[in-house]
Amino acid sequence: MRVGVFICHCGNNIAGTVDVKAVAEAIRKIPGVAYATTYMYTCSEPGQDEIKQAIKDHNLNRIVVAACSPRMHELTFRKTVEKAGLNRYYFEMANIREHISWIGEDKEANTKKAIDVVKMAVAKVMQDRPLYSSSFRINKRVLVIGGGVAGMQAALDCADGGLEVVLVEKSPSIGGMMSRLDKTFPTIDCSICILGPKMVDVAQHDKIKLYAYSEIDEIKGYVGNYQIKIRKKATYVDWTKCTGCGACMEKCPSRNAYDYFNFGVAPTKAINIPFPQAIPKKAKIDPNYCRHFTKGKCGVCAKICPTKAINYEMQDEIVTEEVGAIIVATGYSLLDLEKLPEYGGGRYPDVISGIQYERLLNASGPTAGHILRPSDHIEPKTIVFVSCAGSRDKSIGIPYCSNFCCMYIAKQAILTKDHIPDSQSYVFYMDIRSPGKGYDEFTRRAQEDYGVKYIRGRVSRIYPKGKKMVVKGVDTLLGSQVEIEADLVVLGTAVLSNPDAAHLAEKLHISYDTFGFYVESHPKLRPVETNTSGVFLAGACQGPKDIPASVGQGSAAASKVLALFSKDMLESDPAVAKVDINKCIGCLKCVRTCPFQAIKDKELRDGRIVADVIETVCAGCGVCTSTCPCGAIQLQHFTDNQLLAEVNALCLA
Amino acid sequence: MSVDKLKDAVKQILNEVDIVIGYTEGFDKVHATPLFINTQDKVDQLIWDQRCVHNLASYLPSLKRKKVGVIVKGCDSRTIVQYIQEGLINRENVKIIGLPCSGVISLKKLLKAVDFANIDDITFEDNGNVNVKTEKETKTLSLMDIAPDKCKTCQYPTPLIYDILIGDPIKSDKPKESVYEDIIEFDKKSLEEKLAYWQKVFDRCIRCYACRNACPMCVCQDSCIAESREPHWISQRATLTEKFMFHLIHTVHLAGRCVECGECERACPMGIPVNTLKRKINLEMKELFDYVPGVNPDDKPPMYTFNVDELKIKEHKIG
Amino acid sequence: MSGLENKEMKIVGFLCNWCSYGGADTAGVSRFKQPTDLRIIRVPCSGRVNPLFVVKALLNGADGVLVSGCHPRDCHYSDGNFYARRRLEMLKRLLPFLGIDHRRFHYTWVSASEGARWQQVVKDFTEVIHKLGPLNLTREA
Repeated sequence: MRVGVFICHCGNNIAGTVDVKAVAEAIRKIPGVAYATTYMYTCSEPGQDEIKQAIKDHNLNRIVVAACSPRMHELTFRKTVEKAGLNRYYFEMANIREHISWIGEDKEANTKKAIDVVKMAVAKVMQDRPLYSSSFRINKRVLVIGGGVAGMQAALDCADGGLEVVLVEKSPSIGGMMSRLDKTFPTIDCSICILGPKMVDVAQHDKIKLYAYSEIDEIKGYVGNYQIKIRKKATYVDWTKCTGCGACMEKCPSRNAYDYFNFGVAPTKAINIPFPQAIPKKAKIDPNYCRHFTKGKCGVCAKICPTKAINYEMQDEIVTEEVGAIIVATGYSLLDLEKLPEYGGGRYPDVISGIQYERLLNASGPTAGHILRPSDHIEPKTIVFVSCAGSRDKSIGIPYCSNFCCMYIAKQAILTKDHIPDSQSYVFYMDIRSPGKGYDEFTRRAQEDYGVKYIRGRVSRIYPKGKKMVVKGVDTLLGSQVEIEADLVVLGTAVLSNPDAAHLAEKLHISYDTFGFYVESHPKLRPVETNTSGVFLAGACQGPKDIPASVGQGSAAASKVLALFSKDMLESDPAVAKVDINKCIGCLKCVRTCPFQAIKDKELRDGRIVADVIETVCAGCGVCTSTCPCGAIQLQHFTDNQLLAEVNALCLA
Repeated sequence: MSVDKLKDAVKQILNEVDIVIGYTEGFDKVHATPLFINTQDKVDQLIWDQRCVHNLASYLPSLKRKKVGVIVKGCDSRTIVQYIQEGLINRENVKIIGLPCSGVISLKKLLKAVDFANIDDITFEDNGNVNVKTEKETKTLSLMDIAPDKCKTCQYPTPLIYDILIGDPIKSDKPKESVYEDIIEFDKKSLEEKLAYWQKVFDRCIRCYACRNACPMCVCQDSCIAESREPHWISQRATLTEKFMFHLIHTVHLAGRCVECGECERACPMGIPVNTLKRKINLEMKELFDYVPGVNPDDKPPMYTFNVDELKIKEHKIG
Repeated sequence: MSGLENKEMKIVGFLCNWCSYGGADTAGVSRFKQPTDLRIIRVPCSGRVNPLFVVKALLNGADGVLVSGCHPRDCHYSDGNFYARRRLEMLKRLLPFLGIDHRRFHYTWVSASEGARWQQVVKDFTEVIHKLGPLNLTREA
């Protein structure tokens, strides 16, 4: 065993508070250490060259670099030792920067600690074994979950790149939140006018297979080879026959169904097509309202349907698709108005949410684009917008900014003036967040050209007074109380993750934060990757995001998939669990506890049952290794002996 | 219960299984020994009385692929239930003959009671009296005075699982709270006292592995990490550290699995209370997960499963 | 650090790679000063931490052992820390029965972004171990 140890100064980052020379000197005395030196910047090209040279000159066969966190540079140095002819797993990193020099003030204590930590790395590297990747074939199809603008963009880019795409959307139509918007900031483009053609592209692309009104039931497999079970929810309408003529909707006697597309601004029919541009443009029955289901008799739609598409007996159907990568673009949801009782949310019909206001503004919305307040269908003249309705409010568990409310409130205020020239809009805000291109100019236009009155401060209470809603707040710039009698109040409600986000994350084996937003692999450098290889993120499922950012991420995720699929074979990570069949007693506790179903039982020729790891499925967590009573299954590179070597190097010293 | 009924039952099931495991006379009057019956003519060697201390269920995992009949007492039956929970046996391959039991003898206690004299004969009466004839005297003892501790708080005198039950079921007359009284009492001692106690008792350990070999749940047997270098959890040094480590390996591996049959303590030549730590953990398993090993075949051993929300595990504050 | 003098305790930390090790890195990047007693062993997941590693460390001369993983529901391997929680809780409850102060072993959850929380954990735990003093389980040199 000839271990080489390289201790990095990292300029002054390490050498400033650790006596690196003393560390090298102490380490040199460890039996098995053939060479120990220090270097100014070990990760630099000359630094790496020095490692390669020393491997040659001193015939080193194991390498330890004491420098920054392995999360930073482990891969860099693994490649270095590999280039010098060693197996890349004959390498360990001792973290003497983030865990020592940057956090300890006492140089002597730091140096002592650094010596210990390097000793532990040396002990571990002596227990390291060479590991080799194996290659496996990949299925070059991609699953996109969510048919909002991010998912559509990702699907289109993948499909244009030649990949077969399976697009799963849980609601009856693709289009997502953007299809509900009236106009978009800062250009005042008509939202559906720019989204509609994209939706048609998705529908007509011969590489895209669309499952609308479907959800993910089960995900099995690993990067390159996933098996997906998709639940096609019962629509009670045979979509192969439905032409989208709308005759059923017209004649349906159940008129009070909740309109999910319009966020309940007005009721819809129990059988409906959500909006004129819907894709697929097919009808669907809501069994909670349909008289056939609630009262047991009706059947009007079945009688009227010219193609006999109605099928009240329809059941959910499970289909299986095989893909090699997954793009998650499940979007967001919005805070319920009821969660804002001080604003009268849910209690007063004339306190509505921003997204509901979009539907009032929209020409194909329930009011045909005339702004009429819900209570009495009268045109409002004084409109108050409240931003940060729930957002940035620790007391209700939403400390974060919802990202795009400032902008859409400015847009809605501008549009209000266009619709009702003699109206006056007020905006209560905490800060105006408008850092995008053309965004700040846009909010200024609202104030300067459209006369929208911006009041910096929070609203404390909203209550009715006759036909008006009194908005009580404070103007923190003037330092005075404000009271506005409004005809209509629009709340910029907080953006939330989807209620079932955690559930899906568990199926995908990806992480999510306290708020249910999915966690990217690196907040700066890997924004669309997840820590599960083969699973990528796009859009607001990762955090509140506006349209251009969502579209950008959709394209970014697609490019990641295209890059992944540019190879025919993938290399597996060899740091997976391995069974010693001579030791294994076949108790199969590992099989039962593996979070990835990566272990199966195998019968040997002598009839003995042992555990068997499916290397490509194993994610390398090591739960099996700490479960196995006899140590027969060992997570490679984190074996019992490797960890014990570290414990002993430290404790027995 | 006459032993003839047992013999009839064994004769019958011998047609369906490869082997039946029961008890027979040992090398002297106080010992019974396991009997492996594969032919009808061996059936007559069967005995059944208070000397039948062994947990015969322990043999089942190693005979997993055979059809086996086994004679079990109430306490032993928990081993079978635990095996079923852990998938270590195939239930359909096992024929269980259950025997309600109101206590067995502890050889160690018996010998002590007769001052370690040689015992020439021993007979058991229905009223719980044990007549012992030694080289010096004839003595009548009460069974409960010379029974293992587990019998004194036995909650399961009737087997929990069986195909054939011979004799009438017995209901436990021991209060539930008595089972862990000794554990709760010991835990009241100071940390120093407790540590000193374990240092003292573990120091006696000679690493003979008798406790492990006797333990029905120590299914690793020859793959035990106590004797392995790959992985190398423990060295062969005869230090207190290594002895301590061995007993904690045993304890951690038995966490939430120990059926408290007491075979470990029966086998220990050094009188180490090997079962105590496992029983302490069982007490915690009951409290944390409402789990009792070896009682319900459908339960999952708590260390091999989880709840996303653990109702009883609270986040600890430091210190 | 002040108050710790030159006497250091032997404290071993088992940190999962994805959350807590990252949290300790974040604390470092943010220059959140900490006492120097802790030595960290990186493991892929808290589920990899066999309770016997904790036992081994304590028997071999550690004065305190800290295990930290991803917050429940936030495990990189989805379920690893759920197993860890049960097994480590079992150990935590066994230790006092053996005569080992339960405060010498702590398990907790720190995410990669919680640098400040990590600093607090290290500070508090180190302080507790200093208060408890050295542990010698087996009276051997």
